[in-house]
Amino acid sequence: MLEIKDLHVCVAEDPSEKILKGVNLTIGKGEIHAIMGPNGSGKSTLSKVVAGHEAYEVTQGDILFEGESILELDPDERAHKGIFLAFQYPVEVPGVTNKNLLRQALNTIAKEQGREELDPLEFEDYAHEKLQLVDMKPEFLERSVNAGFSGGEKKRNEIFQMAVLNPKLSFLDETDSGLDIDALKIVANGINQIADEEKSVVMVTHYQRILDYVQPDFVHVMIDGKIAKSGEKDLALKLEEQGYDWLHEEVAVSVNGEQN
Amino acid sequence: MTKLKQTKQTFLQDLLDFQGSLNGKSQFLDEVRLKAADEVRNTPFPHRKDEDWRFISLRDLYSDNYQLADGMEVSLPDISEHYLPESEGARMVFVNGSFSEKHSSTEALPEEVEIGNLADFASEDHPLVKEHLGKYGNFEGDVFSSFNAAFLSDGVFIHVPEGLKVDTPVHLLFVQTDAEVNYFATSRSLVLADANSEITIVEDYIGLGNNKYFNLPVFEVNLEEKAFVKHTKIQRESKEAIHVARTGAFVAKHANYESYTITLGAKLSRNEPRISQRDEEVEFTVDGLVLIDGDQVSDTHSVMDHRFSHAESHQLHKCVINGKAHSVFNGKIFVRKDAQKIDSFQENRNLLLSRKGLVNTKPQLEIFADDVVCTHGATVGQLEEDEVFYLKSRGLNDQQARELLIYAFALETIENIAVDSVQKLLVDEVHKYTERQLDSQLTT
Repeated sequence: MLEIKDLHVCVAEDPSEKILKGVNLTIGKGEIHAIMGPNGSGKSTLSKVVAGHEAYEVTQGDILFEGESILELDPDERAHKGIFLAFQYPVEVPGVTNKNLLRQALNTIAKEQGREELDPLEFEDYAHEKLQLVDMKPEFLERSVNAGFSGGEKKRNEIFQMAVLNPKLSFLDETDSGLDIDALKIVANGINQIADEEKSVVMVTHYQRILDYVQPDFVHVMIDGKIAKSGEKDLALKLEEQGYDWLHEEVAVSVNGEQN
Repeated sequence: MTKLKQTKQTFLQDLLDFQGSLNGKSQFLDEVRLKAADEVRNTPFPHRKDEDWRFISLRDLYSDNYQLADGMEVSLPDISEHYLPESEGARMVFVNGSFSEKHSSTEALPEEVEIGNLADFASEDHPLVKEHLGKYGNFEGDVFSSFNAAFLSDGVFIHVPEGLKVDTPVHLLFVQTDAEVNYFATSRSLVLADANSEITIVEDYIGLGNNKYFNLPVFEVNLEEKAFVKHTKIQRESKEAIHVARTGAFVAKHANYESYTITLGAKLSRNEPRISQRDEEVEFTVDGLVLIDGDQVSDTHSVMDHRFSHAESHQLHKCVINGKAHSVFNGKIFVRKDAQKIDSFQENRNLLLSRKGLVNTKPQLEIFADDVVCTHGATVGQLEEDEVFYLKSRGLNDQQARELLIYAFALETIENIAVDSVQKLLVDEVHKYTERQLDSQLTT
């Protein structure tokens, strides 16, 4: 599904600020991955770069989606192909209802993929069904996008949007942060219902907590712009117990090793 | 000869001399006109050195010659596409400032409403015209309102009698035609809402071509006790036109004046709404939306004059600026001595879409009472690229994303407009505006 090869990324306005320094990552169809790592390690940047954020520039390497490079594609073109990013800080758009944004988005994507567009009534039925996945009331559709939402509502709204747009690959950027345990369960439950053997999900997170509810097939740890270690679920548990310091040491050792 | 005197030797002076030889349609109007002509002769034309005019240049107005539109040959295309469906049978049309009976129809309005060409009511010496004309919209020492009065002829007269609530919104459509020559048009509107009456008015200026002309309308509104007037002004003049407008509203006890001014057109536009309290316990709203690009200049100088206790006033003025456009906002809030318990809100928000756009904003509060709440603020911001990215990541293309964000920014100032088709028209205007924005990005 997704292949990230030796990806180097800097800030577009300041090329001296290098954030990703050779990321390699392969996400297979139907897999759930978790990317963990300390603040500033580059995990959020990685999600934004996959979605096409223009504040970052790829200086080396490639990102292949279903075998084709997407580096030249705009964010909307990537969305049309089936890539979705749940934002760490979803943007408030007062004056535009959830319903209007999502119907426009869904129909634009449908049109690009050569599928039938939904009329307002069909969309309403479809959206109501998806609302249940994140335990939200129909009134939610009529509210302005994220305007005045609590932190938890914003995160649920991201998962709701993911359910509606039905992407092949979703990056969830710290969707679990700032959630109380009940909201976390709702969000996790939504993710579990959406994820299936056709869809891939990448959870970017600080904490092990959400992984109690959404079981990842693979766990990766990012440190200083690179994947420092990959493993299975137990890696997350080890990080929870021991923190990231032991990995810093391991990276330092391997860097020294390379130099020798 | 001083610079100022030189300025007076412009076409405006010629125009004035020209009109001085004309007879008005009534003796009353003649007197008004002659007095106003004298005022013009004794009032200096504004200049950049005047505090109230320092942000904009009137060079185009003073240097180009404009001839009086009256009597000019007019070729008028079909204008019915501009009619508001809600105002069928409640419409007055003016072409280059002259009343067009052919296009007007007021049959849907209750008989008790007096409505028609101001010149006709004036020639019949209508007592209300004589009593009210010039009381609200002739600003003291303002050469432009005097100028309008010096040319006073056709215009709007609406009188809503006591207790009558008019459901049908009245559409006042001022059409400016395409023409070879630069012309000058004026119109005067006088709206009188008696006690307990209610009316909705859409004042609509449209330029049909891309030609140069100078439009100078004055709009006067008087609200008696418990009257409620909803007033929307849409200015979509030609992109080469100059539009200088004055609106004066007087608000009596328990009355409510709600106004929305939408600025889309003209190369240079200057709006001066002045709302004055005539008694205690009134409410008024002076919201505005400005969408400009290219080399357009839009200037709003407003006055909210709180003269008595217990008033609630609201002014949200939003501007979207692209290209080399320039927006000016000067919002004066007066609270007179002893006008206690005033609750006044003012905010000017600017969305600057280009590097070369310019914003001048100046809240001006003069408060002489001590028990008042006046909040005011001014911001200048741009479209956040993160917001654009957010919407694009949902599949919207660049234009859709920007349009949605501009629409969201503008919405607050248009969502309370009482006439649905006006709201729809403004949504379309936002769409066209964003389309132009995108086009200009592609070409630069």
